[in-house]
Amino acid sequence: MIRTVKRGQATRMEKERVGVPDLPEQKRLGGAQMKPLTENAPKAGAVNQSSRFWTKAFQQRYLYMMSLPFVIWIFIFSYVPVWGWLTAFQNYKPKDSILNQKWVGLENFIELFQDERFYIVLRNTLAMSTMGLIVGFTIPVVFALLLNEMRGQLFKRSVQTISYLPHFVSWVVVAGLVSKMLSTDGGAVNQLLMWLGVIDAPVQFMAKGELFWGIVTLSDLWKEMGWNSIIFLAAMAGIDPELYEASTVDGAGRFRKMWHITLPGIRTTFMVLFILSIGHLVSIGFEKQFLLGNPLVSDYSEVLDLYALKYGIQMSRYSYGTAIGIFNSVVSILLVFIANGIYKRVTKESII
Amino acid sequence: MKRKMQTFLSLLLALVFVFVTACSGSNNEGTNTGSNNGTANEGESTEPMTIRLASGDNNANWDDMQSEVGKAIQEKTGITIKQEFPVGGSDADMFALMVASDDYPDLVMPKGNAGKLVDAGALVDLRPLIEEYGPNLKKVYGEYFNRLRWSEDDDAIYILPQAGVNQTYFEAGGGFQLQHQVLEAAGYPEIKTVQDYENAIKAYIEKNPKTADGQPTIGMSLNGGEWQILISVTNPAFYATGAPDDGEFYVDQETHEAIMHYQRPEEREYFRWLNHMNDIGLLDKESFVQKYDQYKAKIASGRVLGLIDQDWDYADAQNALKAEGKFGATYARFPVTLNESYQDHSFQGTGYLGGFGIGITKSAQDPVRLIKFLDYLASDEGQVLVNWGIEGKHYNVVDGKRVIPEDVQAMKSNDNNTFKKTTGIGNYLLSARYGDGVKDPSGNYYTTTFPEQIQTSYSEEDKKTLKAYGATTYKDLWPKDDAFPERKYGAAWTLPFETGSQANVIFQKTQDIMKKRIPEAILAKPEDFDKIYDAFLKDLEDAGVAKLNEEFTKMVKDRVALWSK
Repeated sequence: MIRTVKRGQATRMEKERVGVPDLPEQKRLGGAQMKPLTENAPKAGAVNQSSRFWTKAFQQRYLYMMSLPFVIWIFIFSYVPVWGWLTAFQNYKPKDSILNQKWVGLENFIELFQDERFYIVLRNTLAMSTMGLIVGFTIPVVFALLLNEMRGQLFKRSVQTISYLPHFVSWVVVAGLVSKMLSTDGGAVNQLLMWLGVIDAPVQFMAKGELFWGIVTLSDLWKEMGWNSIIFLAAMAGIDPELYEASTVDGAGRFRKMWHITLPGIRTTFMVLFILSIGHLVSIGFEKQFLLGNPLVSDYSEVLDLYALKYGIQMSRYSYGTAIGIFNSVVSILLVFIANGIYKRVTKESII
Repeated sequence: MKRKMQTFLSLLLALVFVFVTACSGSNNEGTNTGSNNGTANEGESTEPMTIRLASGDNNANWDDMQSEVGKAIQEKTGITIKQEFPVGGSDADMFALMVASDDYPDLVMPKGNAGKLVDAGALVDLRPLIEEYGPNLKKVYGEYFNRLRWSEDDDAIYILPQAGVNQTYFEAGGGFQLQHQVLEAAGYPEIKTVQDYENAIKAYIEKNPKTADGQPTIGMSLNGGEWQILISVTNPAFYATGAPDDGEFYVDQETHEAIMHYQRPEEREYFRWLNHMNDIGLLDKESFVQKYDQYKAKIASGRVLGLIDQDWDYADAQNALKAEGKFGATYARFPVTLNESYQDHSFQGTGYLGGFGIGITKSAQDPVRLIKFLDYLASDEGQVLVNWGIEGKHYNVVDGKRVIPEDVQAMKSNDNNTFKKTTGIGNYLLSARYGDGVKDPSGNYYTTTFPEQIQTSYSEEDKKTLKAYGATTYKDLWPKDDAFPERKYGAAWTLPFETGSQANVIFQKTQDIMKKRIPEAILAKPEDFDKIYDAFLKDLEDAGVAKLNEEFTKMVKDRVALWSK
């Protein structure tokens, strides 16, 4: 018994040292088979190389054909629209075709970067998305960890279901709930605080700009916590139980197991999700901010997308709106690469 | 391995077949409806035809042509209207997206977004169509027909305004509102200035801190959380200080110089009064945070003593109160001003304003048929149908006079939402029409709003209150229509900015500043009020309000020149 466990541990350590991800046996073999193709290719001549490619392609023609629809799909819906970026350098009027417009160079970008309001909305966007990112990753992980430690299956399942149900509630409804709860006119939160004696008079939570980011983050947490933890729970379920047995034998307690087995076990999943979320830092949508906000807190509630809507599309300044869109996309791509780069440096693994 | 692959592939194939058959099924349907449309176009003008109409104003009581009037119109013209409303956004989004996607319905009622559609070349010039097929349209607009032209440089007609021509106002929908029970308790005092208004509320709330069902009463509430901040908070500032509604501007009647109306020193004093109301706890603290439905729910609970709003904005909530029989909690309206030296200019004449209306888009299947449809609605027969309903059902002719039966009138005034939805009366004011107070050849009014009719629509509470003030309608409390000279430019709020122009951008910025600063100033401590109001004016300066004023002055002067031709 002891010997098998020890061997299990050793192989794992080896795996980590060489940096091969912890994959099932079959897949790893598949990976090994693919490898010679790419590694040997440079040795052969150029002609040889291309002919080899075509032989291989012919052999795998069904696989290629099966992937073709998806490639076309992505091309049509993700690459063709990029053509529209041209409008950012024009004074676009929908009457004429895109090539038949007045070109204005970088004018729209200059105006964008000179507008003070743009920096305010950028600050709000980044602040709210960063807060959302931190809270939206730590709490669900902790929640999943605790759920995972539970023994009673029935209780565990019901807690999980109850906690992810709010995910399916529309933001319109959530915004209504939140503003009712925080209302000064019989709102539950104010009544509770008054009863506890924390405050003397009802606080106008929704009218305080400095509280707005927190309110958005907390309502987002309430709505998405259970949902976000599902994927971590799934990742935890995939961890080899032998590891836990081995550490029990080695005398590790619950917290040690969580720290040394469960957390490292979900690291890859966590990092993939985290890096993808970083890519969405600037484009967090405007639904929650739009629905929870009001004129009094507009200095804290307005986000980039709302700004693009108001000063771009609503005023028929399509070019200006596109310029904001381009800024969004470029920043997102940069953020993803930076995050991935840092992760690669630290762990010698790459996600994308 | 191989067998696995085969099962997988066959599964995939099966899936593909399912999709293909499903798709071809819907394709068949598609071609069917397509051919139906085709025959409809070729056939006679009463062949059934379905048209799409995008409306910028939400109408919760739209009946989908299922009402009695809707069916009558359908029978007469063969046209079925499918109406679309802004979903989850404003009308501005709806039409902007329409332009961006280049996908238009047959008819549009774009409110303030007509400029966008015209700039995009989406609207059809109606002038030639009206000349040929629209005798009734031409007749209704009459002497004001030249006011329909789009601009100095473009004499096309893109929009048929829907406001009543030659309208006489018999009823005033604005002003400051007070519950009948408040007035009764105070013995119907004079309500002329904000001070009178404040005193009435104060006296009542001291005696009745809670309603009959135990909820705390609210002194006054404003609908300031959404776009109605303009209706409920900022427009009253110029009404109360003796200026007419020129949108966000104040136009000097002599020189036609325009400034943003917040820059008038008088209005600072109005906002100072609101600030004072907040300070003494009579203003609902949630006025600028609440959403429209919260506002309506509060009113419908009967605990808001006073409002500053327009009747159409609080009508839903008041209808709910009426349906529950709480007539004491419904509202009377008064032309309240800041002090005795001002007069409410709500009814300063404008002449006929083009303004918001309906247009035909370039995607319309059959513009000729549509203009004939609109022409029918503008005919004497059509106007009576949309305003009065069907003879024998919604009105009777007694001695040559149209009379609304009592049960119909009771439903109309006490349960207007259901009334609108089932009868369709009020849902089809789509085309040119005469306003209130204009009589048709039979000697009856075209609309159902005339002095006697308004009085029958009043509840007993309304009548009691009006009697106490020696008036027959609320309008009687306002200064008479001819008390002020007519504005040569109509009303400045109908002047559209060129889309995407610099003035348009500055205007948007001033609106954002206003929506933040005005609530801030009102909710501030009284000693901070001036500081914040000064900061507000400074923000406006920084945003380029001087340039905006200059631009707007030019627009007003152009309008005066165009209309006096």
